[in-house]
Amino acid sequence: MVAQQDAGAFGELVRRHQSHVRNFLRKLTRDYALADDLAQDAFLHAWDKLHTFTGKGAFIGWLMSVAYTTFLQSKRRSNRYGEILNEIGQEPVRQSMEQSDEISDLDRFLAVLTEEERAIMILSYACGLSHREIGDAAGLPVGTVKSIIFRGKEKIRESFDIEDHQYG
Amino acid sequence: MTSKIINMAERMKDKEDLRLEAMFRSAPVPDDGFTTRVVSRIRRRIWVRRLSLPIAVAVGAAISAGPILEVVKVVPALINPLFGSTFNIERLVAADLPQISTFLFGAGLVAVIFLASKALED
Repeated sequence: MVAQQDAGAFGELVRRHQSHVRNFLRKLTRDYALADDLAQDAFLHAWDKLHTFTGKGAFIGWLMSVAYTTFLQSKRRSNRYGEILNEIGQEPVRQSMEQSDEISDLDRFLAVLTEEERAIMILSYACGLSHREIGDAAGLPVGTVKSIIFRGKEKIRESFDIEDHQYG
Repeated sequence: MTSKIINMAERMKDKEDLRLEAMFRSAPVPDDGFTTRVVSRIRRRIWVRRLSLPIAVAVGAAISAGPILEVVKVVPALINPLFGSTFNIERLVAADLPQISTFLFGAGLVAVIFLASKALED
């Protein structure tokens, strides 16, 4: 039914997956309005490219790859994580171990990662995708996905320790 | 068997994984009309695509009708020397010229109506 370009049937797919896609984009951009705009664009791109989904692999992996590509192609990408890094760098004395109202621990952790690492960590820990599904979403082999997750966790561990040392 | 072991290993999580999951976890995003907005945009896109072809055909036919008629007037002069006086294409076309323009207009109109009705059916 969806293959015959039925908008109503596609609407059901949107209803089922909109929470995952929007959560993913919200965590990537840290800008809810921008994330929801990108999510709408992502679903429109998915509609246009529906014929390219061959059924090999989970639909959610394919949909997340469209969402991630939409994010990468967007010229309106938020620089929220850049701002967070600047704020952390500029206010070392005032930083406390308690969660700030504006910047959460999660924001701090994600800010030290590269864009690719951030996306994969979010797909793994926030969206609960398997390594294979993440590989489909990011266009990477499963081995690379595991390396990136390992590297991401290392960076977060080191940044947390370094934080205490540098700014404490 | 290997893939089952890999899947099981993937599912075994350490404390750090569980802590990260708890940190990353967020409440499901309520729909709040999001799906309706997406479906509306898709339906608008479908209509734009369906109407653009018949409109393009109509505009193309309107623009090309004049030049086609000019070509039709010139062709007999080129063909006539081949057939000689036994079969005067020029005279034939000159006699039928008004009907040819009506025919072209009618054919274009039929094509537009056909494409539009097909789009409506879909």
